[in-house]
Amino acid sequence: MSDARITLQSFFEQAREGKLVGIKCGGCGALAIPPRELCPECGHRQWSQVPLSGDGEIASFTVIRIAPRGHAGDAPYAIAAVRLIEGVSLLGRVVDIPFDELAIGRKVRFRPLRIHEHTALGFGPV
Amino acid sequence: MRRVAVIGVGTTKFGKHDRTSAELFAQAAADALADADLPANRIQALYYGNVVGGETEKQLHTSPQAASVLGLPAIPTTRFETACASSHAAFRHAVMEVASGASDVVMVGGAERVLNVPTADSTEYFAYASDAAWEQTIGLTFPGVFALVARAHMHKHGTTEAQMAAVAVKNHKHGALNPKAQFQKEITLETVLNSARVADPLKLYDCCPFTDGGAALVLASEEVARRSRRPIWVLASAAASDWMLLGDKRDLSRVPATERAAAAAYRQAGKRPEDVDVVELHDCFTIAEIVATEGLGLFEPGTGGLAAEKGWTSLGGKVPVNPSGGLKAKGHPIGATGAAQICEIVTQLRAEAGPRQVDGARTGVTHTLGGNTATVLVSLFGRE
Repeated sequence: MSDARITLQSFFEQAREGKLVGIKCGGCGALAIPPRELCPECGHRQWSQVPLSGDGEIASFTVIRIAPRGHAGDAPYAIAAVRLIEGVSLLGRVVDIPFDELAIGRKVRFRPLRIHEHTALGFGPV
Repeated sequence: MRRVAVIGVGTTKFGKHDRTSAELFAQAAADALADADLPANRIQALYYGNVVGGETEKQLHTSPQAASVLGLPAIPTTRFETACASSHAAFRHAVMEVASGASDVVMVGGAERVLNVPTADSTEYFAYASDAAWEQTIGLTFPGVFALVARAHMHKHGTTEAQMAAVAVKNHKHGALNPKAQFQKEITLETVLNSARVADPLKLYDCCPFTDGGAALVLASEEVARRSRRPIWVLASAAASDWMLLGDKRDLSRVPATERAAAAAYRQAGKRPEDVDVVELHDCFTIAEIVATEGLGLFEPGTGGLAAEKGWTSLGGKVPVNPSGGLKAKGHPIGATGAAQICEIVTQLRAEAGPRQVDGARTGVTHTLGGNTATVLVSLFGRE
């Protein structure tokens, strides 16, 4: 059990190294994505860091064709909501999967991305 | 708590304007005062919605600016920012100020100016309403948010792209009857289905436009409202939230904040979905209207697409939705939208909506959604 607060920054520093982590409530065991101060299930305030497998399946997806100014050069690109096998969900950029092979239920695996100077979540084929 | 009524409404034409958001608000507010037949010095406070003023106009502190341009520099003002639901959030708090007895007459309004910047910039600024670390970094856009909702709804319920397109066709048909709408032109199903892809499966005509515009209304206590010509009573005003991150939402085919806010509003008003005659709801994207009609209890979950396809939500249908043209055709000046929806429902309940009038409307609902489905407000209105 780690006493150190799991900040957004520490999450992304670890994600950059390929290590995906979640936080687990010391009161009821609920799993969440940091940062979070109080457990919405039981109200406890003590969390510990737990590793996440990075394996999951697509819950929904889209291909962005009109992008914001900061991503305009990247379009088109795919984004998916991914339900990890541990039960928590994350959004990520999908890479190395052709757009016409995207499907709800398709298995994908986490991979860290560097997008315009920021660490960002990505998912690719298993 | 005291009863509260809307006694005056005003909106600008929606579309492109070469005026600041404060000027757009002020015009709408002066029209609302004239409609209420009240002198400006009766206004005791301004509750104001404005979202991207800091980005498109390099302007913060927009509520005292709006009051100054209106010509009421001394009243207390507060700006609300809950993304696209901002002026509906402002409205709810203004209702509480009057209901509590703190004030007798209060102005609610909002304005937005975005067509003075390129689309790539406005797309970026609107994306600021999604999470900076988790969602903006991967290039998520608002069409992208609702594309994820659409795909989940299609997968779970069999909703089709043609059903979504039917929402756009219907709202453009209504907008053609509204002289203040940004688009006053009917479109066909083929136009929607063949339009450029924005965020699959959403196409250009599934999306509302960027819009400049302002809207305002005057709220009054029962005592003041009784002396006005056409008060429309606020039966309820409720708000709810949901997880900010899309990843934290368990079922992307639903908007739980709509369901929660609607339940609270119906409870406050002592009404049921079956009592509703006319609806102005947040159709920022066609799928958003489908999911909102389900969340408001107007149709069973999964049947919102069918309702649009069958014409049940058209003027003359079972429960007309967005007779103004909605965000899709009337336009969506985000800080003004919640107030503008209320202006339309008040106009409908006064039976002053002309060719887009819902015959015999006695009870109306407004629904406004903010951001990535994390904020929703629902209010109910009634004639005496």
